[in-house]
This record gives sequence, C-alpha cells and structure tokens, in this order.
Amino acid sequence: MATTTATATVAPKYWSGGRSPFNVEYGKLMMWYFLMSDAFTFGAFLIAYGTTRFAANGWPNPNEVFKSYPGAGEHPNAPLVFVSVMTFILIVSSVTMVLAVQAGHEMKKSRVVFNLILTIIGGLAFLGCQAWEWTHLHAEGAWWGHNPFLNSNGSVGHQDFTNFFFTITGFHGFHVFSGVIINIVMLIMTLLGVFEKRGHYLMIEKAGLYWHFVDLVWVFVFTCFYLI
Amino acid sequence: MEQHTAYSDVLHEDTHGGGTKEVIKVTIILSVLTIVEVFLGFWMIGMEENGFGKHFVKGVIIILMLAKAFYIVGYFMHLKHELKNLIMTIIVPCLLFVWFITAFLFDGNSFRTLRNKYNPVYKQMTTEKAPATEEKKDEKKPGQE
Amino acid sequence: MSNEAVLQTSVEGAVAHGVHHEDEHHEHHHHDTFISKYVFSMDHKMIAKQFLITGMVWAVLGGLMSVLFRLQLGYPDSHFTFLEDILGKFWVQDGKITPQAYYALVTTHGTVLVFFVLTAGLSGTFANFLIPLQVGARDMASPFMNMLSYWFFFLASVIMLSSIFVETGPFSGGWTAYPPLSALRGASPGSGTGMDLWIIAMALFVVSSLLGGLNYIATILNMRTKGMSMTRLPLTIWALFFTAVLGVLSFPVLLSGFILLIFDRNFGTSFYLSDIFVQGSGANTGILPNEGGNAILFQHLFWFLGHPEVYIILLPAMGMVSEILSVNSRKPIFGYMAMVGSLFAIAILAFLVWAHHMFVTGLNPFLGSIFVLLTLLIAVPSAIKVFNWLTTLWRGNIRFTPAMMFAIGFVSLFISGGLTGIWLGNSALDIHLHDTYFVIAHFHIVMGVASMFGMFAGIYHWYPKMYGRYLNNTLGYMHFWITMIGAYLIFWPMHYEGLAGMPRRYYDYSIWESFKQFGGLNQFISTVALIVFATQILFLFNFFYSIWKGRKVTSKNPYNSNTLEWTTPINPGHGNWVGEIPEVHRWAYDYAKDGKEFVPQNVPIDPNESHHH
Repeated sequence: MATTTATATVAPKYWSGGRSPFNVEYGKLMMWYFLMSDAFTFGAFLIAYGTTRFAANGWPNPNEVFKSYPGAGEHPNAPLVFVSVMTFILIVSSVTMVLAVQAGHEMKKSRVVFNLILTIIGGLAFLGCQAWEWTHLHAEGAWWGHNPFLNSNGSVGHQDFTNFFFTITGFHGFHVFSGVIINIVMLIMTLLGVFEKRGHYLMIEKAGLYWHFVDLVWVFVFTCFYLI
Repeated sequence: MEQHTAYSDVLHEDTHGGGTKEVIKVTIILSVLTIVEVFLGFWMIGMEENGFGKHFVKGVIIILMLAKAFYIVGYFMHLKHELKNLIMTIIVPCLLFVWFITAFLFDGNSFRTLRNKYNPVYKQMTTEKAPATEEKKDEKKPGQE
Repeated sequence: MSNEAVLQTSVEGAVAHGVHHEDEHHEHHHHDTFISKYVFSMDHKMIAKQFLITGMVWAVLGGLMSVLFRLQLGYPDSHFTFLEDILGKFWVQDGKITPQAYYALVTTHGTVLVFFVLTAGLSGTFANFLIPLQVGARDMASPFMNMLSYWFFFLASVIMLSSIFVETGPFSGGWTAYPPLSALRGASPGSGTGMDLWIIAMALFVVSSLLGGLNYIATILNMRTKGMSMTRLPLTIWALFFTAVLGVLSFPVLLSGFILLIFDRNFGTSFYLSDIFVQGSGANTGILPNEGGNAILFQHLFWFLGHPEVYIILLPAMGMVSEILSVNSRKPIFGYMAMVGSLFAIAILAFLVWAHHMFVTGLNPFLGSIFVLLTLLIAVPSAIKVFNWLTTLWRGNIRFTPAMMFAIGFVSLFISGGLTGIWLGNSALDIHLHDTYFVIAHFHIVMGVASMFGMFAGIYHWYPKMYGRYLNNTLGYMHFWITMIGAYLIFWPMHYEGLAGMPRRYYDYSIWESFKQFGGLNQFISTVALIVFATQILFLFNFFYSIWKGRKVTSKNPYNSNTLEWTTPINPGHGNWVGEIPEVHRWAYDYAKDGKEFVPQNVPIDPNESHHH
C-alpha cells in the first residue's frame, strides 16, 4: 500500500481523489469488473469440468465425437475442421469489433456502422454453426443426460461428457446471443446518431469489451472441449 | 448525476493503441496460434492415450491458449494500453485461479484414485469395454486402443 | 443476466460525462412523488434504508425460526398446542414441531441469516449509505443499477418467503444445499418445490449482490472527492471495498454451482450424482441411472463462495467497528496501514481456505493439510486487527454510547469466537469436532453474533445521519447488555456440548443416552434465546418509534467526528451536499492532535501542524 502513496506524488495524481485513478470512466470500469466476475462464472464451469474429468477413469475422445460438418454425408471423419471454422469466425468478428471501436475513436460513423454489421453477421454465423452442431449431436443421441459416445478406453461413455458440453457451450452461446443483441442495439444507436450527438463512441468500446470477452471464453472452451 | 463532472478529462486523455496496423498484426498472430493448435490437435490423434507424448502436446496447447488469451485481452480489449493501475486490478485477482484450479483438479484426481481403490466394481465398469449390443452405432467405436 | 443493466446505465453515465458542467452548485428541484422517493428511489440513502428494513424483517423471521426450533431442542417433551393453531399441521403436530418442519426451520434460518440479513442487510445497508457519504460523492456511480440491486434482492426475498408457504414446505437440506438432498426432487418433501424456490431466490440474490458490488467498487475507486486518496479513506470504506471485491469474485462461482445443480434437478444430468439407490415405490425405485458425478464437486464450488461469504459478512462489521472505536475513544485508530493491510490479507486468504469446511467429506487428506496451513494463517491478520482495536481503546477518552458498547462487544465476541476457529482449522481436531455444537458455537459467535453487533453498532452510530433523530439510549443500553450476556449464555455452553460430541442438526437429543445429560442445558439455552429474541423486539420498537418520535439531531456533527458524512446537512437531500463537495486534506483519524479534540477531514492543513497523513 505504501506504493500508492508514492505514486500519488508523481506528476499526474491518479490516486489523490477527484478523478479516476485509471483514467477511465466508471462505466468501463464496471464493465471490466463485470467481465472479471463473469470470468469466474466460466472459470468455475470449466474447472468443474476439469475436476470431473480428473475424477473419471475414462472420457470420450473429442476427435471421435466432433468430426462432422454440414453436408458431410454418412461417415464423416473430419475432426477439428468445423470447430476451427467456428473459431475463425469468432476471431474475425472480434477483429471487426476492434475496427468498429477504432472508427468510433476517430468519429467515423459510416465505418462504425460497417464494422458493426460485420460483427453482427459474424456473431450470427457463429450461433448458426453452434445450432447446427447441437442439432447434429442431438440426432446422434447426445443430450443432457444422454451420452452415446464410448470412452476412449472402450467403456460405457461418461455421462458428464455431454452434460458439460451442452451446459458450457450453451452458456457461451447465450453470451454470444446477448452480445449480438447488444451489438444490434449499438448499431441502431449509431445509425440514429446518438453517439455523434454525444461526442464520443464510448458505448461501442464497452460493447466491444463484452464481445471480446465472449471470444476469449471461446478460446478456453475450444481448447478444453475440442483439443484436449 | 452531477458527480461525474471531475472526470470529463478522462475522455480526452485516453491512450490509444497502435491503430489498424496493430490489429492486423494481432489478427495474424491469433490465426497462426489457432492453426498451430489445430495442427497439434491432429498430431495428437494417433498418440497413445495417457502417454507422455499426449500430455506434453496438451501442455503445449494450454500454453498456446494462454498466449491467445494474452493477445485478446492485451490488444483487442486494449488492456495493454491502459494505465498500469488498471492492469494490476485485473491481473492480480485472476491469480486466484491458480489455487482454484490446482486444488480442484488435485481433489478430482484424488477422488478417482480413492474410488478405484475402494470400489472395484466402479473401476471394472469404467475400464472394461462396453457390451457391443448396447450401442446402436457400433461402427462408431473409437479407433485407438 | 446483468449485461443489459450494465449497458443501460452506462448510457446514462456517458451522457453525464459528455456534458461538461463547470459548476456543481445548481440544485435539482425534482418533484419527487411517493413512488420515486420511497419505492423506486435512486438515492443511495433511501436504498440503504430499504436494504436495512428488509434485512430487519428477515432478521425477525429468521430469529423467530430459531426460537421455534430451540423450543423443540430445549423442551422435546412439552406440547405447545397453541402453536398448532397458529402455524398449522405441517409445522406443528400434537404440539410439537414436526421433524420435517424442524429441518425446514434450520435450513431457512441459516440461509436467511447468512445471505439476506448479514449480507444484504449489513453490507447492502452500510455500503449504500456510507460509501458516497464518506468518499465524498453525490451518489453511487450508477444509481440506477443500485436501485436494481435492491429490487433483485426484494424479488429474491419474496420468492424465499413464498417457499415457506408451499404445501410441501421450504427446502430442508441445510443452508449449504448439498446434493443429493438438494439434487433429487424426491429426497425430502422440501427438495421439490421448496428447493426450486430456494434456488431461484438465491440466483436472484447473486444478481443483486453483483449489481451492488460492481457499483461499490466503481464508486470507491472512481468517485472519491478531491484529496481523498485511498490512504485517507475511513476504514469503513476499505472494509466495504474488500467486501465488494470478495462478493464480485466469489458469488459467480456459487451461481455456476447452482446452474449445474438446476440441471441435475431438472434436466437429467449427473454433475453431482453418483452411486445412488433410490428407495420408494413405483418406477423410481432402484439404482439411479444418473451417475458419474461427484457430490464433493458441489461442496468445493459452494465453499469457494461460502468461505469468502464469511468475510463478506464480517468485514463490514470490522470496518464500522474500527471507525466507531476511534471516534468514541477520541483517539486515532491504531495502525491504520496495518488495519488496511490485514483487511487485504484476510480478503486474499478468504479465497484460499474454502476446503476447511470439507475436511471430513472425502477431501484428500494431503490437500486438507495445505488448507490447514492456509486457514491458520488467517489468525495473523485477525490478531493484528484485534490488537489494533485494543490499542485504540487503550487510554482513550472513551464515550460509552450504545454504538460504542456494541463495537466493544464485537471485539469481545470476535476474540472468543475466533480462538475456537484455530481449533477447528486443524483437520485432525476437526475429525472429532466437525458437525458438533462446537462448530455451531464457533461460527455463531465469530460470524453471526459478532456481525450482528457490528450491524447494531452501525445502526446506533449512523441513525442520526439516516433519520435526523437519535435512538433512545436507555433502550439501547438494555438492548446491549441483554444481547451481550445472552449471546454468551446461549453459545458458550454449546462448546461443552460439542466437545462431548453432541452432533448438530439432530431433532431430539433426549432419546440419546450419551446426550441426555444436556437436557437441562438445552432448556437453559432455549430460555435465554427466547429472552434475547424478545430484546430484539425492544430494539425494533426503539428503531421505528425514534424515526418519528426520537430526539432530534440539532448539530451537523453530533459526535465531533472527522469523516465527511458529518459535513452534510442534518437531513441531506439527494446529492448529499448543498453546494460544492468538500475537499479533503487529511486522513479520517486526526483525533486528539496538537491539542485539538478532533480535526475533520475537510479542514486544510495548518502550516504549524505536526506531521499529517
């Protein structure tokens, strides 16, 4: 704590009150801390998943489960392909979101609109992929409480494989969905010129933070469910 | 809501990142990392279950995952260009995850060993091959033994 | 969840930021309707009062529940037929609390007291009330989210309350909601609808506490007035800050655990279920098909919140006690930085020790030994705090106001309850002591009663600021002495019962040869509990009577206190200060300095002054 007093004497007195110590307005600060708490929500899910896997003698091999793609025919054998496409979609939509935020800083309304539309399309595309994957797995007999896939050691499949898969990807999908809704709201507000009148596009920045967080969570979900 | 007045300077002092150039750079890095991950994933398919090789590759994938997380949080979420104070308030609480993960996984592992020790029926059921008749999709049986 | 709320309020915030007001002088002249002033109020002071009064309603209900189950424990052979007429057949049969009702009462008592009274009622009240006033802000960062926080709590309250009235009774598997009692709908009568309502209420409660916590953190960090550096903050604010951090980081984990539990209950999953044989009739009999899960996983997830929750309850009380002890000893708090540091240490350790609640549940013993080490470390910052409180009192010019009495009572209870924590923190001793009355005695003294004392101290101390009137002192002293002596009389004997191995959560001890000897003691405890409960009614009378009829506060700073809330008008409006917010020039504890009795924070530094903070 002594360091805080030390920094207070340095030229910009960030900690001495009357201003934000982080040079950010409170809304962004709250968004950051909200994302922190949400990280603990997802963290708890993934750690629970990890704990269950550590407690299990056998676990299905993801490459045997997730190896299909739309229009693959009867016996698809393309592990990781479809989910890589999904990952790529989300990364690209994150990039367009960054560009929208930057365009907002430069007060370029048309570029904000363009990039936001791309982001929304990316989000919807991701949701579409997820919907297809869920439908496909459901058709194979997988659902909450039902796991048709055998463990990699050949024993009866661990029930929590599908339980965790649907719960966690579902919870992530719910975040993507709310992110898309938020982005649509942002798009409408931009089109109505709300931010232009306000003189800044900070709202887009906060929506962006949320959207990137969704991308970040997917990085973890992708690794934990599909890769390892 | 008059209390916000003092902070109007915030808006003008915002430190910006490296612009579009940086975004392109980070996009390329993230794509490359993902491609490497997927490549490692493919490579892992043929490996022996629970062998050293597989665990090693999994470890590498986790490190790559953390690298991706760093780039997303640092550049896309702009954290790297924020003040150090803010960075610390985000990073330090995340350190709690270390013990959170360690303790949980350690206990999960212990649960498995205890169960295998005291419940031989459970051990048998979860390590023995499933009766083939039960599975309608018999051809989907995993490849590697 | 709360995303929409976050967004919506940041819209308002951004508006306020965009507009550059040069002067803060102009006063708003809203036309407050009854609804906007007392119901959907965005004034932090009104929201604080809403939290307080809702918390008090819950405290009375929770206390009443404890009186009812203490009746059963103290008088297992008596028949209270009049209760049957009041409560009905589900609760009382043949003049005795039914076993089902007994467990429902114990469970609801725990849930309500821990979450609704000591979390929402304590930190909800005082964080809302004190943060803007003591850091020098006109309101919370987002008043709208603050309002939402209360109304989510209110909704949670309504749902929890309604669970008491369903036909099969409220949830009865203990406030920790361990599966399988909480996961299988047929496990007990309360595991069906009662548990549904319980879990919905708790989920809403988590949302409420997140909305509140984010607001508290953002306000403390971002909205401090000029000169109010972090090291000049009153200790109340530091404590509330760490409380909010604990809540924001640990409640989400509980939410995750509950979501998995909801899936186990309703969607055929088995996150927490394994190797269960269901006895009964019909199709449900036999081996439960859902398996592969791990009940200990739930306990881990629960206690990852559950332990920080203990400090969510305790830290606000510690902060307020520090402030009240200093003001009423007319001395600076001893070791301000050590106090902050120990709060910080406690906040960190809170996240590292959760499994000490699980030593005997099948936790790995080696892992348990690490948790023992981490747990015992908590004694260090706790001891620092205790010694600092005692040295603050040392040779102080003490004013024994009711608030001060309760603050001193807090220190006493914290010591006697904390010491037994060292026993329980050892996994070897815990083999004998777990799930006995020793545990009950420990956590009731150190967490329950101590935090209640902190809350009472806070209410007595800041009541004049809340309502512009004083509470009656005579009633206050009666309240203190009876509660203080009563608390010790109730919980001290429980240590002996626990050491003798008397388990908690049993319905009737009189039929056990080994515990028959405690019949008289149990009767004594129950009688004292009844008296202490009645005394709280006295406090309630004092509280509500004084709102309208109490002695009026005549000066802005009745306690000659240093903190900023006493620079506001006696009845501050929305916005707190008329005119500019005072600038802060010193820390909050310049008492008995340079021959002056007290120097408020907004007094500029005199060039001849001795060293200052």
